[in-house]
Amino acid sequence: MSHAFAAAVSVCRSAAPMVIRSSRRTMSSSRMLRLACATGPAAVNRDCKRNGLLAGRTGNVQQYLRQYANEKKVFERTKPHCNVGTIGHVDHGKTTLTAAITKVLADKHLAESKKYNEIDNAPEEKARGITINVAHVEYQTESRHYGHTDCPGHADYIKNMITGTAQMDGAILVVAATDGAMPQTREHMLLAKQIGIDHIVVFINKVDAADQEMVDLVEMEIRELLSEMGYDGDNIPVVKGSALCALEDKNPEIGSEAILKLLKEVDSFIPTPVRELDKPFLLPVENVYSIPGRGTVVTGRLERGVVKKGMECEFVGYNKVLKSTVTGVEMFHQILEEAQAGDQLGALVRGVKRDDIKRGMVMCKPGSVKAMDQLEAQVYILSKEEGGRTKPFMSFIQLQMFSRTWDCAVQVQIPDKDMVMPGEDTKLILRLIRPMVMEQGQRFTLRDGNLTLGTGVVTKTMSALTETQRSELTEGKKAREKKEAAKK
Amino acid sequence: MLLQKFYMRALHTTRMVYASGSGAGLEKSALSALRKKTGYTFANCKKALELHNNDVSEAEKWLHAQAQSLGWTKATKMADRATAQGLVGVLVRGNLGAMVELNCETDFVARNDVFKRFVDHVARICLQYTEAIEFDGDLWKLGYESEALRNLPTDKGRNLGDHLALLIGAVGENATIKRAICFKAKHDINLCGYAHPAPTNVGTTDDTTQVGKYGTIMAFRSDIKYPDYEFQKSICQQIVGLKPKKIGEYDKDKPVENKDDETCLIHQEYLLDADRTVGEILKEHETTVVDYHRYECGEATKGNLDEILRSREQSSN
Repeated sequence: MSHAFAAAVSVCRSAAPMVIRSSRRTMSSSRMLRLACATGPAAVNRDCKRNGLLAGRTGNVQQYLRQYANEKKVFERTKPHCNVGTIGHVDHGKTTLTAAITKVLADKHLAESKKYNEIDNAPEEKARGITINVAHVEYQTESRHYGHTDCPGHADYIKNMITGTAQMDGAILVVAATDGAMPQTREHMLLAKQIGIDHIVVFINKVDAADQEMVDLVEMEIRELLSEMGYDGDNIPVVKGSALCALEDKNPEIGSEAILKLLKEVDSFIPTPVRELDKPFLLPVENVYSIPGRGTVVTGRLERGVVKKGMECEFVGYNKVLKSTVTGVEMFHQILEEAQAGDQLGALVRGVKRDDIKRGMVMCKPGSVKAMDQLEAQVYILSKEEGGRTKPFMSFIQLQMFSRTWDCAVQVQIPDKDMVMPGEDTKLILRLIRPMVMEQGQRFTLRDGNLTLGTGVVTKTMSALTETQRSELTEGKKAREKKEAAKK
Repeated sequence: MLLQKFYMRALHTTRMVYASGSGAGLEKSALSALRKKTGYTFANCKKALELHNNDVSEAEKWLHAQAQSLGWTKATKMADRATAQGLVGVLVRGNLGAMVELNCETDFVARNDVFKRFVDHVARICLQYTEAIEFDGDLWKLGYESEALRNLPTDKGRNLGDHLALLIGAVGENATIKRAICFKAKHDINLCGYAHPAPTNVGTTDDTTQVGKYGTIMAFRSDIKYPDYEFQKSICQQIVGLKPKKIGEYDKDKPVENKDDETCLIHQEYLLDADRTVGEILKEHETTVVDYHRYECGEATKGNLDEILRSREQSSN
């Protein structure tokens, strides 16, 4: 997802919208299909051959991987993956803790030890459309594999959330026993709330420099603050230790053992995110074909879940909901027993005409998604240097919203300020001109004419627009001003 | 927003009352009481108690006395750490105006109330000095630099630098007072200030410090008897948003061809109505912008502030 996004962001700057649409698809095969379709039915046959070729090539991927493996270690997907992040005051030892975790786990051959100064902002982050100061480290425990994120500032965490480089499933709050909670610890917890972290594990660091009474008081204080900020302060796991001791191989009871205890708490307290594969299936429709003698075929990349022949399905979008049944699944013109999330596939559906379905709809498990026309989103507005616009914008601006395979005109409302400057992250309320399938956590791009204005993530779906609100969407500025004046 | 804050604070105090009522042995301990009361770090509270045989009131006195020097120690230790985040504070009271920029290390601190209160404090000190200034003419303004600001005396023989050290001690992060500019207007000149991002629907901005990432103070003449605050704000937003390099003169400066590159305020397109220029809107409201100043948090200050000011003054005269 994030790759597709980065591509969308970077391509948008230079290319025409047509190209962007196809670039949103990560698989090149679909693009070929599209192009072939555009040139006429005669080309489709040719395209079949080409696809056959492509299928042949995928067979070689295994071989390629094996060769490649000699040079680089292949990631083994044996454990569930989970993303965590550290938050806390700059001097409370976030980076030291990260270094200590990798060191302790490296001793058990579960991670690669990273020194304090090696945990640095990834240079490749600079190459993507949006610059985020973020450090990524990976390690694994006995039961799970982890991606570990650390950002220096609030804005960076927000950007990280929006672009979805690593959606955090949980966080480790680091507090030094010597200082206790700082005034800005409140802001750290607010941030965690804002980016949707429900599970926090607390690590009280530097206990080697404090006594038992102090440590207990810090724990009490932090629990109190957590409860105040809306977390379950009494039941949140708190681990006390010293990251520095772990790093220097001293006092194992507060060093390495404390780190292992922390990881155990993280393992058990932060739930494993549901895999895309285990969710109800969803396929954003890219193209619809009518094949004589067989029926209607929809193509696209299966975003999540599993599709099998005989499954009930539903098409949602453009004010329509159509029920149908999947009567066949194919990939690269070969029959597929079962398509899994990530597969580029064609699905034969019963009883619907080609003209009933349109690109931009989704095919999904009946009742699993709904079309929405009003939503709340957290959006990052690209700065001029990142290819965004130079001027700020106000409420009521009309933009084009791109998500999955659809795009739609939206009206923007800025809920808590007057205007938004380029380079800022902000909460926006978006009103779609017609209902489209939107879910919490779905990512999208906002464009204005020929430039990308920003990118965002849906934080909340809101109640449907009323008739009056809907008519207000299309009314001009003059009409709005008149109404305002009448109110006064 | 304000209400929410108030509510939160109320919650906080009630919690403390509860805690002190129901807590067991730990809660009553001297260390806990001292930390709750003073908010200084646990390490310092501990040290204070050790020095004064667990006498809370003595320890508290000692802590307050030490805070200044502890703050200074911390401030010197952190002095070379980069401060790229922060806030711009804009305070306008009648014919007086002050805009300050304060920096810190992370935006978490910049969002904190402790930091916001300090911005307000610095702005008020600046305003206090501006108030005492006597001058001839219509408009007086003076820019301060970091060094000068730190030496501004406050109460009890201390200066702003001492207050800054206290703040550094409290938030545990390096902080700097980067710059400030003060305005004083006379006769028919009015002042207006705006900071972005600003909460919507705030009644009056008079005598309240607005804080944000960007700020501006504008001096203007208006022939309209009843001031239109929304209109004034929109012109300030224009300055914050489109970053004009100068006001421009109707007969001298010609609009450039690509209107997105326009750097003259009067020729820029009006944010609230893209079909018209700011100049047209200003004429419609019988207003002339006399001077303005724009701050962007974290921007590089170009050359000597005084020099810029001097050249500005010459050009506007």
